[in-house]
Amino acid sequence: MPLELYYFLSITAVNILLSWALYLPYRVAHLHFITVANMAISGYAAAWLVMALHVPFGCALLVGFALGGIIGFVVSLFIGDAPTFAVVIVGFTFIFISRTVIENLKAIGGAMGMFGLPNIGGNPDTHRLIIMVTLAALLLIVGFLLHRFEHSSLGRAASAVFMDKDLAASLGVDIRRLGMLLQTVSCTIAGGTGVLYGFIYKSLHLDFFTFALVGIAMTIIFVGGYATQWGAVVLAPILYGVPLLFPPAVQEWRIVIYGAALVLVLVLKPEGFITRRFVVSMESFLSGTRKKRNTLSREEI
Amino acid sequence: MQELIAQIINGLSLGSIYVLLVTGFNLLLLVAMIIHFSYPQVVVFSMYIIWSVLQLTGNNLVLGIAAGVASSVVLNLVSAPLFQKVMSKRGEVDINATMVLSMGIGMIITDVLSHSFNEGLPVAFPDSLSSFAPIVRLGLISVQVGQVWSLGVGIVVVSAIFLILYKTRAGRAFRAIAEDPEGARLVGIPILRTGLYSYGLSGLLGGIIAVLLAMLLGSASPGLGEQVAHKVLAVSIIAGLGNLAGGLVVGLLLGILEAIVQGYISGSWSNAIAFIVMLVVILAKPKGLFGTRL
Repeated sequence: MPLELYYFLSITAVNILLSWALYLPYRVAHLHFITVANMAISGYAAAWLVMALHVPFGCALLVGFALGGIIGFVVSLFIGDAPTFAVVIVGFTFIFISRTVIENLKAIGGAMGMFGLPNIGGNPDTHRLIIMVTLAALLLIVGFLLHRFEHSSLGRAASAVFMDKDLAASLGVDIRRLGMLLQTVSCTIAGGTGVLYGFIYKSLHLDFFTFALVGIAMTIIFVGGYATQWGAVVLAPILYGVPLLFPPAVQEWRIVIYGAALVLVLVLKPEGFITRRFVVSMESFLSGTRKKRNTLSREEI
Repeated sequence: MQELIAQIINGLSLGSIYVLLVTGFNLLLLVAMIIHFSYPQVVVFSMYIIWSVLQLTGNNLVLGIAAGVASSVVLNLVSAPLFQKVMSKRGEVDINATMVLSMGIGMIITDVLSHSFNEGLPVAFPDSLSSFAPIVRLGLISVQVGQVWSLGVGIVVVSAIFLILYKTRAGRAFRAIAEDPEGARLVGIPILRTGLYSYGLSGLLGGIIAVLLAMLLGSASPGLGEQVAHKVLAVSIIAGLGNLAGGLVVGLLLGILEAIVQGYISGSWSNAIAFIVMLVVILAKPKGLFGTRL
């Protein structure tokens, strides 16, 4: 596989996973940016385990998932039902704190970062194959779980919380536990994604986990469509791939382009390009049960 | 003891900047009903405009300051229709949507600053605007011009804003909208126009803060806005969103805490400690210490 294609596919997969990690808690209106901090924490922890203690990559990946999940769970105990802005600020604070801690820890390279992560499987080709297979498997598993979640009572409960917290509570939805569950799962996904992110580049640096990454994920979710998981799948490759077609001088401005796209879509098409209505129509069409109707049924909402 | 007093003086001047920022942020939140997360990025943009005009005019302070203040007001007013459009599209006031929109605006501002000014490198303001020479020195205690200005202007501006809010017709309209937007509309208060006044007023405030920050810090970098934005939202949440008096107390306390920590702990760990304290308070009281006014 050509190197350019490998990086395009693997980074696109990482962007989809990160966007899904943010999308999941946003189903209850939580913008949980702690995911980016978790990517960094798990990524560095796994890299250290592999490099310093010679732990196999598979075990380090599992540790990455677990670490993300534990941090997510502990934090969710406090902000499981907090307002959106409080969740946002906790996420940003975590990013700042994790950056400062990583910057000051010599064992993981400090401000210089970690370089020379070993090839998994011994040679570069096997390394790339393992990374691609792992990412593909993770995409399929997380995508399937998200799809099931959307069509379950939990998904409907999340929709109710998103629309009206008080109403959802009066209908018997345990807002705090639902928020905790989604935040924990989100952080678990982010932890594993962080490990894979580091091993794609075979290096880790604080500049990998900046607010630009938050901006990219936000653009993918809100431009793609924040009400379904498919928005991220459609937009992540476009957002990463299209700027590559432009000259380097234009590519330098890609964050401005992302920001402009985000602002324009929020103003002109706030629900994003892939809406829930569109997804329901597509599902009906594909399953051959398309009906003529103008509104969604209560269950679909 | 002298070191502690010196750090408290540093903290008060830094805290007064936070107070001004939180006041501007809360004004927009209460009256325009938006979470303008990138408000500090607008302030940093104005700092860059001041720097550019100073470069172009051979350090003409009057022109530099005027351009900085004007750019902040214009940027705030230009963004107003975007926020209004997002809210009208949603069919109701949705402060979360406005926060995301504001983050988008912040992304654009930060990246424009890192590409278009001084090749992305931090900019340094001339001594005529930002002098670190002390005007008073008593042992370890030294007071700089920028500190005096930021504290003095901070007190005057915050007092003026409280005066406007509680002693003028426009202020009553601001408070009425903050209390009950529907009720305010029913009694004939022009919601849109009053909202625009708040954008203009917070823009003016932003310009003043840009000048004070330039005097106090002596430099600016594209990433400054993100860090300050985070602190401003944190102060606002800790105080209770929309709580002006609470923002005043917490803003000053954060400034003092940061200065003391920086005085006694070396390296970048000091920043982490301030963030950890903020995190603990937010985790313990996600709805603020003094209650929200929304």
